[in-house]
Amino acid sequence: MSKAEALQYGDRKVYTVASFNRGVADWIARLPTIWIEGEVTELRRHQGWANVFLTLKDPTDGSSLPASIPRGQFDALRLDLVDGERVHVYGRPELFAAKGEFKLRALTIERFGEGDHLAALERLKKKLAAEGLFAEARKRPLPFLPRKIGLVTGNDAAAKRDVITAVTTRFPSAHLVVAETLVQGPRAALAMVASLQEICAEGVDVVVLTRGGGSFDDLLPFSDERLVRAVAACPVPVISAVGHEQDTPLCDLAADVRASTPTAAGRLVVPDHAELTARLDASRTSLQHSVRRTLERQRERTHSVGARLRRAPALAVERERRTTEALHERLRRAPLLLVERKRAALENATSRLRVLSPSSTLARGYAIVRTEDAIVRSSSEVEPGGRVDVQLAEGGFGARVEDTR
Amino acid sequence: MNFEDAQKELEQIVQRLEHGQAPLDEALALWERGEQLYKLCRERLDAAEGRIEELAKRVEESRPAV
Repeated sequence: MSKAEALQYGDRKVYTVASFNRGVADWIARLPTIWIEGEVTELRRHQGWANVFLTLKDPTDGSSLPASIPRGQFDALRLDLVDGERVHVYGRPELFAAKGEFKLRALTIERFGEGDHLAALERLKKKLAAEGLFAEARKRPLPFLPRKIGLVTGNDAAAKRDVITAVTTRFPSAHLVVAETLVQGPRAALAMVASLQEICAEGVDVVVLTRGGGSFDDLLPFSDERLVRAVAACPVPVISAVGHEQDTPLCDLAADVRASTPTAAGRLVVPDHAELTARLDASRTSLQHSVRRTLERQRERTHSVGARLRRAPALAVERERRTTEALHERLRRAPLLLVERKRAALENATSRLRVLSPSSTLARGYAIVRTEDAIVRSSSEVEPGGRVDVQLAEGGFGARVEDTR
Repeated sequence: MNFEDAQKELEQIVQRLEHGQAPLDEALALWERGEQLYKLCRERLDAAEGRIEELAKRVEESRPAV
């Protein structure tokens, strides 16, 4: 408060109201120009006033902030504001030194309805999508049977009860860790981020983030960039079940699995114990059947191999016996055959001998002429008047040689 | 002499006799030898069969009741 002049009363330093107000006003004037969100109440505009006055109210706890804007400026905006509308006001804090009143000096006002909200959300959604936060490839599968399930929810919420009921109905022995937290209002997003981190530190292997249905504003924290990023960065898979079926807060997109309701989330996070048991029983039964069948098949095979084994030696002996008997049969016939063959050879030789004998020649009309000494082969071997014997095919006769030539 | 050798020799003798080239005296000697071999083979086969029967009976007896 350099400009403020203090009065001295002995050892007491005292400021005048004017100097105090001026000092504070100077200090406040150094604060930056910022955007503030609130609901419009007590809007006062008079033709004769230089400024339009209004009070901004925080809908969550009713905190209020007086504000003013130059009338010309206000009229140019053509907002037609009525009490209760949500606005974003761009301005800086100011102390009206004459009255010691603190207010917001507005430079401009923008209506911020659901449409604007949606547009802002849409921009955030595009930005996060471009970063790949909602990509399918980032989605992790849920654990088949979580050992520890984290539940982040509002305190005393119906959503909490729905999740717990669905989980314990399906899997009675499920281990649930519940983190109750703020789920609406301006502090909700950061509170949920903190809860998410705390519950992960407890070693859960899946997280259910849930709240029941609510107004558009109620669900806004679930589209808060900080929470959406925390969900995407969560070390374990996250199931998001926020609001009703038609609500799609951004945390739903960043979550690994989106459930339409808290009950649906409960069903997704654990398998049905009864069904699991039934399937296990069925598997065991079929395993037993299969083992029995295999055993039976092997028994049959062994049995048949055994039967063949027992038959095999007898068959072998039988085969050898047949071979031996066949050989013996051939052996028995062989000498006789041999004799037959030799006899045939003998007869063959005899007949060939017969062919070589002269008798067949004689039969053709030839004659053999002999002297006492030998067969006559030349006329020089006989002399006229000599006696010869003539042998014919049948019989013979004696003769004398008439002459020789 | 084992069964296989005996049967092999018997086979060779039969083949030789069947070819009919052996001199008669030798053929008769071969025949006699063949008959000896045949007798040996028969005895071996009978003995084997006897053992098989015996073994089969033992197997049957020692089989557990199904």
